[in-house]
Amino acid sequence: MQQDAMTFKDVSAGYKQRKVLDNVSFTVREGEFVSLIGPNGCGKSTLLKTAAALLKPLSGRVELFGQDVQHIKPALRASLLGVVPQKIESPMAFTVDQIVMNGRISSMGRWGTPSAVDHDLVERSMIYTDVLDLRERFFTELSGGEQQRVALAMVLAQDPKIIMLDESISHLDINHRQEVLQILMNLNREKQMTILLVSHDLTLSAGISDRFLLMEAGTLVKAGTPVEVLEPEVLSRVYNCDLHVQQDPYTGYLQVTGAIDSLRRRQKLNRSVHVIAGGGSGIELYRRLLIEGYEVTTGVLNRLDSDAEAARALNIPAVLEQPFSPVGSDVIAQALKMVADADAVILSQVPFGSGNLVNLTLAEAALNSGKPVFLADGIATRDYTEGKAALAFTTRLMQSGAKAWHSIPELMTHLQQHQNRSI
Amino acid sequence: MKRIKRSAVCADNSFTTQSRSRGAWRMLLFFAALMVLLALSMLLGPSGIGIPDMESPSGSAILSLRFSRLLMGMMTGAALSASGVVFQALLRNPLAEPYVLGVSGGAGLGATLTILVGTGVLASFSLPVVAFLSAVVTLMVVYGIASQGSSGQPSVYSLILSGVIVSSICSSIIMFLVSTASVEGMHNVIWWMLGSLQPVSAGQQLLSAALLFGALAGIWILSPRLNALALGREMAHYQGLHADLVIVIGLLFATLLAAIAVSLSGMIGFVGLIVPHVMRAIFGPDHRKLVPLAALGGGVFLVVCDAVARTLLAPVEIPVGVVTALAGGPFFLIILQRRMKQAWIA
Repeated sequence: MQQDAMTFKDVSAGYKQRKVLDNVSFTVREGEFVSLIGPNGCGKSTLLKTAAALLKPLSGRVELFGQDVQHIKPALRASLLGVVPQKIESPMAFTVDQIVMNGRISSMGRWGTPSAVDHDLVERSMIYTDVLDLRERFFTELSGGEQQRVALAMVLAQDPKIIMLDESISHLDINHRQEVLQILMNLNREKQMTILLVSHDLTLSAGISDRFLLMEAGTLVKAGTPVEVLEPEVLSRVYNCDLHVQQDPYTGYLQVTGAIDSLRRRQKLNRSVHVIAGGGSGIELYRRLLIEGYEVTTGVLNRLDSDAEAARALNIPAVLEQPFSPVGSDVIAQALKMVADADAVILSQVPFGSGNLVNLTLAEAALNSGKPVFLADGIATRDYTEGKAALAFTTRLMQSGAKAWHSIPELMTHLQQHQNRSI
Repeated sequence: MKRIKRSAVCADNSFTTQSRSRGAWRMLLFFAALMVLLALSMLLGPSGIGIPDMESPSGSAILSLRFSRLLMGMMTGAALSASGVVFQALLRNPLAEPYVLGVSGGAGLGATLTILVGTGVLASFSLPVVAFLSAVVTLMVVYGIASQGSSGQPSVYSLILSGVIVSSICSSIIMFLVSTASVEGMHNVIWWMLGSLQPVSAGQQLLSAALLFGALAGIWILSPRLNALALGREMAHYQGLHADLVIVIGLLFATLLAAIAVSLSGMIGFVGLIVPHVMRAIFGPDHRKLVPLAALGGGVFLVVCDAVARTLLAPVEIPVGVVTALAGGPFFLIILQRRMKQAWIA
């Protein structure tokens, strides 16, 4: 029976100020080929570092072959688990030979003299990864693909039972990527080596992996066979874009593609929205609205506000007011005209003080003329007015039909739904 | 440009055995050159060039004086150079050396205090010890400042930045101490600070030699691990090293070496920076070879510089630190231009 190679039990991990992994649990069996997928910054690298005991979990426990990784001696750990990083950099001119020999460092004994076994393993892993010809060359002179194969040879020389690769093949060209994957598959098949591959190429990984682990924002959202995990709805939500999954009718291979046709169709909606923002809360909103094809107006903004600068840079019409002065009536009139021309009004996660409270009357005006208004939730935490005037105001707006939004993707869905209704 | 490189690479590939034997020849040539240089330095001095008249008492005294300066030079040079090798490997930075990191400055401050306060035999014994302790404290301060605000390991840049700052604070304090010292104390400190290989007491020489050999042996044992650490702390950890432990031990040994050098001969710059680079350019970066070769090379380099310093403007003696900088600088630039591709890709 195959045993558990790597187990995460309720692991939370991260850095001093920031928790990255949140309560992650999974098991990888010996001899499995597992792909770890998820968008950038979702915690894949942190997971690898925690698995290799480079990071101590804040809570929970990581086991390699049943032993707590925090208590395994480093030399033993290196014989169980090898890590191929995204890129290795050698500041000095080591030859390929010398680099690969580093894989034996923990088993060479105190004096660091390589034994016959060490030399054999180094040579064997260089043959396996096809870098034997490069052995006298300087590592730094090699191409990216060659360097990556040398890195793999170095980790193979450790003779580990599990190999983890941290996006090590993402930046290789297709030829070298196929080659490295072929090597990994051979190791997996012939030596029963357990492989955990962090990958961005979902299609490629689907073809070779036994199982997928899908991560989103520090949590493991799905684990299972490629068919189970590669569901368009789940993927589209996690990666925050339209994705299609197709199965080849002949080979059964899954193919994941971004929906480029929907991108093309998206241009020019002929719909405009007015954004009430400030203090930098509008920047991401402007960007997403423009990408989705809306015409955007904004205001009233303080002339020195970073949102005002963003609007200028993005060519968004904006109503501006002098800094540190109350919003004048002519300025409000201009803004009201913009609201009148808009199809919807969005209130960003802007903090409110006595100076910009008047902006809420714009939302009120839109509601009164029957236009949809979307308010960012959590106003209570951003209300700096005396007597929580903004909170009271928005509560009133909600009662007269304004909708709350929590995240930008959610807001986009609201807008879309409203647009479909009105067509 | 590209084509030239490619053909050189091809040559390397097809003549594997030849390049190996070329390495052996290079080593032999290096040792022969060291012997010749050492012998030459015994012939140079303010009293004239050549072997002094051994019949006269002054002749044998001159020869023994030259020999003890040779020993001082070997020890100081070896310590500075090996220390530079370790700092460069652990910080993965070609600019790292005891001076840049403030370690020498800290050792200098400790030594200055000892010279001004201490008296007699005790002072000469405690000099290396106090220099080491104050260098360690300085390194800890530098490391502490550099770690501020970063989670975990400080970056090399913040280390070097805080090293330079702490170093200049140390030299300011030294200046202050000197300016308020008695005339005699001031003379002693300045004489020592300029950097010279005037023999120190036999006791201090013995103590320094013992510490030096201990530290060199320790570093040599660490040397295969230095190779792994050159790929970064993270990679070394993955390969099964107690990476942080190796770094701490390495830094302590390198600091001890710097303190030995400072307590023996004062502030002599450039050796710890240049010699490791030159040795790496000639013999490659494998630390198992590099550590002993750099120690030898550094020693002989300083002995030769000292021979030049005491002969060139005789009877006036030029501070040896001036010679190391003047000779080493241009040499360094030439090596940099010709072999940087192999020695250190920055």
